[in-house]
Amino acid sequence: MRNRLLGLTLSAVTALATSPLILAQTSKTNVAKAQAPAPTVDLSGVWRRSRRAPDKTRKYTIYELAFSIANEKPPMTPWAEEKFKSAKPNVGPNAVSISESNDPILQCFPPGVPRIFLIRGEPVEIANLPGRVLMLFEYDHFVRNIYTDGREHTKDLPGTWMGDSIGKWEGDTLVVDTTGFNDKTWLDNDGHPHTEDLHVVERLRRVDHETLTIDTTIEDPKAYTKPWGGHAIYELKPDWNLGEMVCEDNVTYSDMQQKSEGGK
Amino acid sequence: MKNKIFSFPVLAIGIAIFAGTVTAHHGSSVYDSKLTTYKGTVTDFQFMNPHTEIWFEVTGTDGKAEKWTAEAPSLTTMARLGWNKTIFRPGDQVTFVGNVAKSGAKILRLRKVVFPNGKETVMDRGEDYAE
Repeated sequence: MRNRLLGLTLSAVTALATSPLILAQTSKTNVAKAQAPAPTVDLSGVWRRSRRAPDKTRKYTIYELAFSIANEKPPMTPWAEEKFKSAKPNVGPNAVSISESNDPILQCFPPGVPRIFLIRGEPVEIANLPGRVLMLFEYDHFVRNIYTDGREHTKDLPGTWMGDSIGKWEGDTLVVDTTGFNDKTWLDNDGHPHTEDLHVVERLRRVDHETLTIDTTIEDPKAYTKPWGGHAIYELKPDWNLGEMVCEDNVTYSDMQQKSEGGK
Repeated sequence: MKNKIFSFPVLAIGIAIFAGTVTAHHGSSVYDSKLTTYKGTVTDFQFMNPHTEIWFEVTGTDGKAEKWTAEAPSLTTMARLGWNKTIFRPGDQVTFVGNVAKSGAKILRLRKVVFPNGKETVMDRGEDYAE
């Protein structure tokens, strides 16, 4: 027993000693360092959420496959249940018309995380810079900087729409940790709420050359009684480039639609 | 707009499109689930986000021309399926297959197009969160 414990301890120490996180420099200024550890796996490419059904037990809607975090009711606290009742989405099973909807993205506010992945089925491009992994979204040209140079989260600035993301490699998985959110976004297209204490962890793994999986975990104790999340599969689109998609074009289009609805 | 073939008052077109009150933008429940086919003559084409629009005319059973609107996914999506700003020209005889608006408005949520040269584009539309 004692020998096994010693063996385990030695293995753990060896693993930690060679971990890129231990070897990374800590820096006093939050500027991406060129000497940051190189990515273990190359996640770069243009990726698009798969529409493949996970199983043959039933027919899945595209909303369930590509536009939702999880196909089950999140474990909301009473606070969150109340807030959720006031959300009036424009898409999905609880959809109302545009003129009745209070969805912030209809006014082109940023969608936040993980909702940036759930809008309109548009692709995301992942690219590498020293000390950073970039996520470039076709949706309204959003960029997420995932700092991989060993820095800590920014703590002394107000919350932002898209949060503050740091990443580290665990073997072949990029673990992205995001905090520092404001509370103005919806978690998803249905309008599930969150607080400024929202903590999102995304685990990105390139299963094979054409497939990327992202496992997302959401923690927000005031809003959810326990962590929850979902598993998303992305397909590589080697012949796609990101196009231009401007949110304000949607507003122009919706305005025309609402005018003909007569303010219904 | 750069990609328009004709200059046509955009607002007028917009009101004309939605005169049949297509509510809950992208909700598929406002469209009939069965597919209908129209062979029509293209009158105008707007290649844009969030939806690409093609206006066409068909001859009704009474011999009169009916004006229809076919709504296709976004410019970015259709460009990836091979469309460009000159893929439809006024006068083209095109087959449009799609879901008709339940309201009675002459709007077709496009699922398939057959061009004069016989080539086809098939569009993947979500049941309840359409592109």
